[in-house]
This record gives sequence, structure tokens and C-alpha cells, in this order.
Amino acid sequence: MAHITINQYLQQVLEAIETRDGSFCAELLSFKHPHVANPRLQLSSPEEKCQQVLEPPYDEMVAAHLRCTYAVSNHDFVEAYRCQTVVAFQAHKEENWALPVMFAVALDLRIFANNAEQQLQKGKGKLGDMLEKAAEQLMSCFRVCASDNRAGIDDSKKWGMLFLINQLFKIYFKINKLHLCKPLIRAIDSSNLKDDYSMAQRVTYKYYVGRKAMFDSDFKPAEEYLSFAFHHCHRSCQRNKRLVLIYLLPVKMLLGHMPTHQLLRKYDLLQFADVTKAVSEGNLLLLNEALAKHETFFIRCGIFLILEKLKIITYRNLFKKVYHLLKTHQLPLDAFLVSLKMMQVEEVDIDEVQCILANLIYMGHIKGYISHQHQKLVVSKQNPFPPLSSVS
Amino acid sequence: MEKRGSHPWRRGGGWRGRGGRTEAKEWRHEQNEEKQSRPNESVPRGTCMSMCPAREVREREAQRRLHRFEILAGTEGDRLPRADLSRTVKEYSRPAAGKDSTRPADLRPPPVLFKTVCFLINDIAASPTLQPWTEVYDFVFDRLRCIRQDMIIQRVSGSECVAVLERTVRFLLYASYHLCEEPLRLYDPRINETHLQESLSWLLDCYSSGGEHRNQEEFQALSLLYNLGSARALQCALDLPERMRASPAVSLALAVNRAHLERNPVRVIRLARRLDFLQSCALHRHLVACRRDLLLLYSHGHSSRNCRFPLQHLVRLMALEEDPVTKLCQAHGVAVNGEWVIFSKASYSEPPPGELQSTRSPELVDMKRGEATVSQVINGCA
Repeated sequence: MAHITINQYLQQVLEAIETRDGSFCAELLSFKHPHVANPRLQLSSPEEKCQQVLEPPYDEMVAAHLRCTYAVSNHDFVEAYRCQTVVAFQAHKEENWALPVMFAVALDLRIFANNAEQQLQKGKGKLGDMLEKAAEQLMSCFRVCASDNRAGIDDSKKWGMLFLINQLFKIYFKINKLHLCKPLIRAIDSSNLKDDYSMAQRVTYKYYVGRKAMFDSDFKPAEEYLSFAFHHCHRSCQRNKRLVLIYLLPVKMLLGHMPTHQLLRKYDLLQFADVTKAVSEGNLLLLNEALAKHETFFIRCGIFLILEKLKIITYRNLFKKVYHLLKTHQLPLDAFLVSLKMMQVEEVDIDEVQCILANLIYMGHIKGYISHQHQKLVVSKQNPFPPLSSVS
Repeated sequence: MEKRGSHPWRRGGGWRGRGGRTEAKEWRHEQNEEKQSRPNESVPRGTCMSMCPAREVREREAQRRLHRFEILAGTEGDRLPRADLSRTVKEYSRPAAGKDSTRPADLRPPPVLFKTVCFLINDIAASPTLQPWTEVYDFVFDRLRCIRQDMIIQRVSGSECVAVLERTVRFLLYASYHLCEEPLRLYDPRINETHLQESLSWLLDCYSSGGEHRNQEEFQALSLLYNLGSARALQCALDLPERMRASPAVSLALAVNRAHLERNPVRVIRLARRLDFLQSCALHRHLVACRRDLLLLYSHGHSSRNCRFPLQHLVRLMALEEDPVTKLCQAHGVAVNGEWVIFSKASYSEPPPGELQSTRSPELVDMKRGEATVSQVINGCA
């Protein structure tokens, strides 16, 4: 296969089209397949050859694909991206047997847009131009699929929707335009196929929807989506499971579930170890140190701000310790102030203690009330610090 | 489905800012037009050396469409008042089909644009004689908008662009506070915000495309304060180089955001006392929500029949006078009894939206201004 001639290759494409063999045809147009490394196929102007063997629109499509392999062999990703857009433009014209072809082409389109972008900027300039254009292309494929209303669901191109959405998510997350995800999510929510797509596609989808929910501070649904992704992700895909965990862990922690050390070690996520320890111990000082130490990693993953929210739970755990030490239901506010000063919280005073406590009471983390006149926190005799998982 | 086209006249593609959409549409319209008329697009270069193109001066003189700030002294009463060429400024006009906004004679090159901004600020916005200020605002707002349009068409970038945008942002920020008590028909905070956000994100884009900009810290901080609690603004700030984040202005703005994130209004207001005048203007629009949070939390935290809270203490926490605090409490269902406030989570209620108008904050904003004049504030030397 790797060293076939152009004629042999075109014959194979022709056969795949005539037998409507979507997956074989997809292979022949995919950059995951070894034929792209075959120098005999890397041609700068294969149009004539293609026209001799193939009918339109396949001649144009395959010619563009071959030009693309030529560009990639020259490491010219801007040109590769340009060729790939021609391929992609044709990819959705067939009936739904050709969906695998569209998938392969769309995937490569996004990857080339990514590479082209890096090649163009080389450390300077604006991100997202190429990717935005690629997203527009994918969007037009998506529209074709979403509006395919033929009667038999087996023949429908609607089966292509989720794959395209996942590709679009990848772009939107990369160029930081999360608001564009919303209409896509709505399209899937209202689709009756949503539970019937392949598990791989559903896992990817839930991963992104989970991350989106997390950024919108909808932690309960975020936990649900990300847990789904984690549990259904194929066990051989450790790298993907790790990616899911990077987002699932903070969400779980916010909801009061702390990860075990083994889990963190297994997935090489020990950056979270000190954070976990600090939160469960109510150790604000350690939490600040842990956040500062792994700041770059957390910022790069986009979870730094979510982790900062763990402070509230850390306050709760710290104050619970104060309660256990003093063994009374009327706790002097001074005691909390002392505990915060021990944790080197800057310039804190009794007014801020009251405010932090009021917030914890409001959120349901503490059952009780503050008496300003007596400068005391009066807590409930039963269960003054309800378990975290029962709150929020 | 949202469509994002790349922009014809500015490197970098899609329009920035939330509010830019309408304008982006208008411009995209012209993009199509331009593609047809000029296949190999070239960037127009302005040749108009005055603040207002001669053609527009004649046109507006003939149509009696001169603003009263632009009329030559002594001709106000004439049938056709004349333009004072040292005070007439090109007005904003909406791009429309069939209209060519790219004629070099109608476009002002960057140095003229900057001179125009300075005139608008020093001679109009800061003028003690031009009244009322809402009219001053309308005039300057419109002319600044046109300056941005000229910059877009000519794809002005770099330090020339930054100098104009910095003053635009300062002006809009100052106005957002100065006019906050005006009725809607005289001042629309929404429209002001739209233009402010658009200019601000354009400015931050300019910074991020490289070069030395000595006011960058100031505006990164203003963006964080104006967009308090916005995950997007915070994420952008986190992506800044360490040195920038550690600068006094940015680190204070980040601290305010962190306090807000933890929902600690007491700390937010405490930190707000340390902000300078313009930073306070930027934060001001969030103070209403911040004080509301305080009442909400304290209504839950101090909710007990035997408890009462000294009104004077609340006055200090909120950094307001006694009178507005009492009014605010009543609007939220919090009882005030003489010297005491009685919090109760059952009686706390949200006032109907729109009821609480934004009011000036003498303690947290006005005091900071000291002796600074309007032009010092907007030129950044306050």
C-alpha cells in the first residue's frame, strides 16, 4: 500500500466509491493512513490524472487531497490547510455512507488549521484566525447534517452531527469562544439520537459539555458529565482519562469529595495532592502555597480560578477545627480571627471574620448565627457543620 | 448560528468586544462591497489634515447641522451659521450600502486623529463653560466614535492606536461614573458600556500584539475592576506575565476580584478604599451588587431574634452615609430601628429590578479625585 502508483491509488478510490465503502474511502483520504507518506502520490498538480479516473466531485476532492499530501511533505501547513478546505467543501455532498469520509476530512482540516496557525504566528500575532475559518467550514458541514430530514433514520446524515460538534468544541475551547458552544449543545439536547452515537463520540462530547458547565459554575451538571466521560472512557486511553480528571477533580472537591492519593499517583496528577490535603485539613496557608507552586499548570489548564473557590470550603474546615477545639456552642469570634492569623491571611479583622462566617451560614456550611453584641458565633447543637456532600 | 467573518480592515479577524456586533455587521457589509470594487484590497491612507474634512464642513453648514459647540462665534443668529474650523470635528456616520467611507480626503491620518482626541478632551470635555455636561458627553462620545472608525478603516495599529484608545477608555470610564445619576434619556449606561468594552478589548489586543506600552498596567487593572467577577477578564489577567501581575495596580485589582470570588463584600469595599479615582470609577458600577451581597449575607448570618446590629457599624462597612444605608436596608426588607439594624433571613427580599438606581459614592469615589481636573484625569496625569 505504501508504495503503490498513482493509478493504483485512484483505482482503489474508485472502487471504494462504487461499492459505497465509507470506511475504506475514508482511509484513502485520511492523513492517519500510511499512503500520505508515499512520495509517488505527493503531487503538486494531480488534477488531470484524477479527472481521467474519477467523476466529479471526486476528481476535485482527491486532487485536492493529493496536493495536500504534497504540501504536508514540504511542511507547508498554510497551503495544506488551503487544500484541505477544498476537500472538506466536497465532503458532505454524498449520502450518509460517506460520513466516515467527512469525519476523516474534518479531523484533518482542524489539525491543519492548528498547524497553519502555529506556522503563521511563530510566537507573535493573534491566535484563532485560521481556526475560526476552519470552524466556519465545519459549521457548514454541520448544517447539512442537522437539516437532513430523510425518513429512514438509518440513512440520515444526522449521524454526523456529534462528530462535527466535537471538532467544533475543540476549536471553540482553543480560541476561547465558549459562548459559541451553546447552540450546538441545544441541537444535541433536542436530538433523539443523542444516546445512540458511538461511545467514543459521547465521551468526548460529555467532556467538553462538562468543562463548559464548570466554567459557568454549574458544578452539579459538570460533575455528572465529567463523571460519565471518566467512567466510559476506554480503559486504554489513560491520557484522556487524565484529561477528564484535571477538570473532574476540582469539581468533585468543590462538592466535598476528596480524591485519594493513589488516584492522583495513578494518573500522574500529584499537583493536586497538596491542594487536597490543604482543603481537607482547613490549612489555608498550605492551600495558598500549593496554588502558587503549581500556578503555571493550573492556569494552563484553566482551573486556577475554580481551585481558588476551594478557599470557602477550606475556611469551613478550619472553623470546624476551632469548634472541635473549643467544645462549646458559643464560639468567640476572636478564636476564628486567631485561626485566620495563624494561616497568615493578610490584614484580616473581626469584620471580615463576620463576613466569612455569614457567607458560610448563607451557603449552609454552618448552622447557626452570629451575635454582634456578644461577638460570638452561636452554632446549632445538632450537626453544626453539615457534611459537604449534603450542602450545595 | 453566529457567523464570524474576518475583518477587512484590521488584522486579527473577528470584531472584538461584546457590543461590537452591530457595527461589525455594518462593516462586513462594506467588506463585500469592497471585494467587488477592488479585488486586491489596499489600505486607504487618509489625507485630511484638519479635524473635519472640508466636504463635511460645507455640507453641514449648508444643512444647518453644525453642533452648537462648532459654530463660529457671532454667526449663531445667522440664517446659515458658519463653522469655526478650529472647533468643527468629523461626526460619526453609519456605514451604508453605496456609501464610500474610504475616500482619503475624508480620512484623517493618525497624527490628526490624536490631535483631535486632545482637542475633544482639553477643549470640550474639560471646558468649564460648556454646559450641560450631558451634551458635552454626547458630542465627545460621537466624535470619538468617528475617530475609532477612521482608525479601523486605515487599520491604524501600535502606539498611535493605543494613545487614542487609552484616552477614549478613560473618558468613557469617567463619564460612566459622572453621569450615573442622570435619567436614561440623557445618559444610557448600556450604550456607554458597549463602547467602553469594545475600546477596552481593542486596547488590550494592541498591548498583546507586542511593544512597550507604559500604561498597560493601568488599563489591565481598569479592565479587571470594570469587569469584576468576569471569568474571562480574570483568565486574561492570569495569562499576563508575572511581572505585570505583580505590579501594584494589577495585584490590587486581582485582590478585589479574589475577594469578590470568595463573596466577601466587606473586603471588597475595604480594598476599594485603596483604589485611585479612575479605578474607583471603574469599580463603581459593581458597588450596588456588592452592598446587596452584604445585606444578603448578614441577613442570613445575623438572623436571630435577640440580635441587633449597630447602624453606624453598617454605615462604616458599606462606606456610605447613614441616609442611603437606611434606604438600602428598607429596600431589601431589612428593618432599621433607630440606632439598630435587625437582620432576619425571613424578611430579606430583593427589590424589584431597576428600582435601585446607581448613585454616586462620595466616600469611595469622589473623594479620591482630589484637585484633579477633568483633562488631567482623562489624559492620565491625575
